[in-house]
Amino acid sequence: MFVQKLARIHRGIAFFATSAVSRIRPNRRVFAARFAIRAAVCLLAAIVRCPPAFAYIGPGAGFVFVGSFLILLVTSVLVVFSLLTWPARCAARAVRRRKIKRRHRDVGRIVILGLDGLKPELAERFMDEGRLPNMARLRERGTFTRLNTTYPAISPVAWSSFQTGTNPGKHNIFDFLSRDPATYLPLLSSVKMGKVERSLSLGSRSIPLGKPTITPLRKSKPFWHVLGEHGVSSCVLRVPVTFPPEKHRGVMLCGMCVPDLIGTQGTFTVYTTRDDIRCEHGSGIVVRLEQNGNIMRSHITGPENFLRKDREPIHIPLQIVRGTGADPAEVTVGGQRVKLTKGKHSDWVRLRFSPGLGMKVTGVCRFLLVEADPHLTVYMTPMNIDPDRPALPVSHPMVYSSYLSKLLGTFSTLGLAEDTWALSEGVIDETAFLEQCYTFHGERERIFFNALDRTGEDVCISVFDITDRVQHMFWRYLDESHPANRGKDTERYAGAITELYNNMDGLVGRTLERLNERDILIVMSDHGFQPFSRGVNVNSWLHQNGYLALNDGATESGEWFADVDWTRTKAYAMGLGGLYINERGREAQGTVAAGDEKRLLKEELIERLSGLRDTQQGQIGITQLWDTTAVYAGPYLGNAPDLIVGYAAGYRASWDSVTGKIGPQVFEDNVMSWCGDHCIDPRLVPGVFFSSRAINAHRQPHIMDIAPTVLAAFGIDRPGHMDGTALDFE
Amino acid sequence: MFGAKIKIDKDLLKRAKKFAEAAGYSSTEEFITHLIERELSRLEQGGDSDEEVKKRLRGLGYI
Repeated sequence: MFVQKLARIHRGIAFFATSAVSRIRPNRRVFAARFAIRAAVCLLAAIVRCPPAFAYIGPGAGFVFVGSFLILLVTSVLVVFSLLTWPARCAARAVRRRKIKRRHRDVGRIVILGLDGLKPELAERFMDEGRLPNMARLRERGTFTRLNTTYPAISPVAWSSFQTGTNPGKHNIFDFLSRDPATYLPLLSSVKMGKVERSLSLGSRSIPLGKPTITPLRKSKPFWHVLGEHGVSSCVLRVPVTFPPEKHRGVMLCGMCVPDLIGTQGTFTVYTTRDDIRCEHGSGIVVRLEQNGNIMRSHITGPENFLRKDREPIHIPLQIVRGTGADPAEVTVGGQRVKLTKGKHSDWVRLRFSPGLGMKVTGVCRFLLVEADPHLTVYMTPMNIDPDRPALPVSHPMVYSSYLSKLLGTFSTLGLAEDTWALSEGVIDETAFLEQCYTFHGERERIFFNALDRTGEDVCISVFDITDRVQHMFWRYLDESHPANRGKDTERYAGAITELYNNMDGLVGRTLERLNERDILIVMSDHGFQPFSRGVNVNSWLHQNGYLALNDGATESGEWFADVDWTRTKAYAMGLGGLYINERGREAQGTVAAGDEKRLLKEELIERLSGLRDTQQGQIGITQLWDTTAVYAGPYLGNAPDLIVGYAAGYRASWDSVTGKIGPQVFEDNVMSWCGDHCIDPRLVPGVFFSSRAINAHRQPHIMDIAPTVLAAFGIDRPGHMDGTALDFE
Repeated sequence: MFGAKIKIDKDLLKRAKKFAEAAGYSSTEEFITHLIERELSRLEQGGDSDEEVKKRLRGLGYI
């Protein structure tokens, strides 16, 4: 453990020392040296001039002193070691890079801006209308085309193919969810959170001996690992499915799938004096406040106490005072007083939870005063892992998030930080949601430009989520007849998506300003967008057509197939696009034999479900189903669903179907605020591909082509396992 | 990078390398890790409680 910690510290120091010194211009070097000398002199003077003080110093203080001294000593040794070996390391890197640079002298930096969910048809329309001048410039001088995406067109699947240049059969991510064939319960597809294997029992306490394991489930090899093997560094920011961070040459900040402090994908809390606020979908916690004067006391429920056998969560007290005038409320937590203005998010507030033995687990959150009078309602964002003192690693090296936090301020670390469920549950409104999205986006832009300015002739990749989240929640404004418009405002944010594309164009423009002629900029998305007006419950269809059986007497099933009789079930749908055969020997209570029986059942389901009509609307709800053995190839094919369902534009798996509920309706209106989607037939939602250089392409590129394209630009041959083909820049 | 090492027969490693590439693995390490994980998942039992499994998905906007 200690050795690993030392190695981590060493890597951190080496990274920051080399990047800092190498990027400082000569005049700045002089300034930096003067600043360091002045700081050292001030520190020395403060120590020498400090008057004597008298106090009892117990043995604890001695341990702290010795501990601090040791850390200081080791750090100093590592700094010296790092500086002494820096020239040798630079020389070794230059030798390694010489070979590839000789082949491609005309390539400087490669910068990839990932705009999740940017829709090519909208980008094209807005460019033609003159709204996106920077993207239009890329189209004129370089490349603009549609980008084929994965089956299914879902972010974790598509971005995994982006990273690895492979089809899902080789990277093992087939959906947001996978399933446990032993229990038929859903699992997060991207990461497996383990427990501590051994612990020391002391009465009611249980002292863990080790750390819980966090196992990445995405397989194969990201292209930045291959670049690193050839001496090229990569800065990788918020690319989905990069948690836990893996070591490579460069830095990384993890993206989609990073959990919150309590281990969920984002649980908000709402403190309210109302008794009519409900979180029906279970994504938030409602805490009732006693209306008793202007001071209301409650608590924040934090992570489980890992030092207790009963694993009770840790609480910290929270006080809310109803005020008047410009600051109608004030929250006090952990000694911090935060003034709240109605409708505006607070700055980040640090939450320190104490499990005992002097340990601290810290998270960060923001508060929002939703209403102050007569009822008081305060919304608290999900508790993000504190980037300054991360309870779980959210970056590589681990100190990178701490460095960014200290340099640029606290930022959101949660994978899906924009709180779509709080808007869907009606806890916050569209105004607050947009403010939250743009606040997080601002943090990410600052991180991106900080990284870009430090990138040498290497690679810098940043994925921005705002494009995905805003389109999910505001698509109804583009479609007057959308069922989700019922009872909601349809005018105030009619321009939200147009403005979103304008803002992304601004980001592209600011990026272009920092690039030179040798640099290559790629702007891309993993999929496009379509309205989500009607939900399709494939499980209900399977039940009505005799493929899925319920327990005797049941006519419906609760969440996660609670009332399903597996011994009489042949097939079930799980996740946003997957359909599984209940295979004997694979599933715990499988009924269908592998081989011909399974093949015939798959053919039957493909035939019956392809072209399934929504009779109420007179439209086709499902365009086609694909046998995964036909669209995937690779060693993880056995983990894939057996069939992929391709929904038509306007349709998607219904909310009930995704969570394994079975009811009387196969088709139903989607009235949730989550009104746009892309988890449909991939041919209907291609992504975009812009580049600052033209490409010689005789076909529409695929998202798997990006990885070999970047490698080829640096003169590195495509590894044999990659499925994509390099695009040839002119 | 700093993982534990095990010794296997040279010829077996040679065969594994050949197969790993043909099967679409990015490395021999990935191939051997996959084999071990697959076998262990058959042998190991138990895991998180149903509630723990569901809790981890809470907040996922898509579901």
